[in-house]
Amino acid sequence: MTVEILAAWIAAFLTVAILSFLYRDNPIFRIAESVFAGVSLGYYVGTVVTNTLKPNLVLPLANDFAHSWHLLFAGAFGLMLYARFVPRIAWLGRWALAVYVGYYVGINMIQKLQGEVLPQVQTTMVPLNSLSGETLNNVVIAVGVLSVLVYFFFSREHHGVMKGVSRLGIYFLMVSFGAAFGYTVMGRVSLIIGRMSFLLNDWALATWRAVTG
Amino acid sequence: MAFGKRLMELDRRWIFLLVALGTLIPLILPIGLAVRPTAPVQAVFDKVESLPTGSVVMLSFDYGPSTAPENDPMAKAVLRHCFTRGLKVVGISLFPNGGLTVLNSTIAEVTLDFPPELAAVHPIEPGTSYANLGYKDGGQAAMRQMAVNIHAVFPTDANGAPVTGIPLMGQVRSYQDVAIVVSIATGIIGEWWANLVNAQFGTPVAVGCTAVSTPKYYAYYQTGQMLGLIGGLKGASEYEELLIRKYPAFKEIYGRTGYYTATKGMDVQSIVHLIIVAFIVLGNYIYLASRRASAAQQGRAS
Repeated sequence: MTVEILAAWIAAFLTVAILSFLYRDNPIFRIAESVFAGVSLGYYVGTVVTNTLKPNLVLPLANDFAHSWHLLFAGAFGLMLYARFVPRIAWLGRWALAVYVGYYVGINMIQKLQGEVLPQVQTTMVPLNSLSGETLNNVVIAVGVLSVLVYFFFSREHHGVMKGVSRLGIYFLMVSFGAAFGYTVMGRVSLIIGRMSFLLNDWALATWRAVTG
Repeated sequence: MAFGKRLMELDRRWIFLLVALGTLIPLILPIGLAVRPTAPVQAVFDKVESLPTGSVVMLSFDYGPSTAPENDPMAKAVLRHCFTRGLKVVGISLFPNGGLTVLNSTIAEVTLDFPPELAAVHPIEPGTSYANLGYKDGGQAAMRQMAVNIHAVFPTDANGAPVTGIPLMGQVRSYQDVAIVVSIATGIIGEWWANLVNAQFGTPVAVGCTAVSTPKYYAYYQTGQMLGLIGGLKGASEYEELLIRKYPAFKEIYGRTGYYTATKGMDVQSIVHLIIVAFIVLGNYIYLASRRASAAQQGRAS
């Protein structure tokens, strides 16, 4: 229990230290910021070593080299990426990056087509042939998608009808950006709610209960 | 316009203080605003509710402490729902920065304070009711491989024990043995479940995501690639509301003093949003009024 209270006090101190920046920049904020940067980077390096390098590269090579020797190439490609820090052999890093980018383009091409492009195109083909609320929705979807696509068509100058449709597309974009902004505000407010809830419940209330018994 | 001018020059720290008070006061004195479930959240709830007892749910904790205020409540609500229905849960994490931490802490908390009257109907036993397989690096590669062999992706559980020794995992080899994947995600991982796992392997997928990702994920919900969507703190509060309505035994847990829930958080959201809207409206009014005033002044000068 004492360890939990101590941990809560440390977390509360760091939380208030970070939030103190809202008043003005100060050394306590700088210390907390540096601690955060260092700890998160150290945690990430530890995670990569423990969960990626060790089980996928080190242990297979150490325990069963005969069936895992091909992993040496993967390890070499990873090390080649660091060659960019040595100007004379920086070109090696470009080869490793090329393999890395090529792999992801290959993987993602089918995924994007099958998982995003085709389903979205299919769902945009909506029926417009009946008088109902659903048809009104479908009209809005169809008009919105087409007008936004016209806005992003830059191979031709936007004049006349194209200019009008493009402007309609801008309005649709503005509505969607407004919705995205509203959701983003909600997301950010959720984070401050989480911190305030921690300060109230996990720190102040828990300390009070520990002190008063 | 003197008032307007003073308002435009207002030190922003007063606004920060107002938002801080708007956050603290509803947390101390809850308002209890009504929560109305929406269709995307209802769809996830209905799907979990419709699964036969004993069905396997893969619950993927694809978030970390950075988005815990939004994702924790939805993860706990879904896990509680699964245990109440007697569903078997395979817990995994694909998020590197703290995914394993939230997976372990959520399972520990939910199993510890699970209502005894519900546990009597479907007892919660580690290894048979749920398996905690821990974190796996690789993202899409791991997702792709799980379509073939989950045991190859997770050879051991979170404690290092061989997965072949876990009774539940004897019946779970690939996505074909999983009734639904529920990903509680931040960032792009939720999208991968939809455009990779559902698109290529046909596995039903539901996603609980942060509010920032929700507008984008509605496109996947619309195409049916996500059968449901729990979006942000609002979505989490809706799921909690549905859970409490169906299983009132959870009312005591969610009503505990000092226990953070999405429903309590939405009270604060409403107040803070009102503050923000008020400042936006005021700011725009003062801007337009000052433009009119300067135009009138120019007219008088000429």
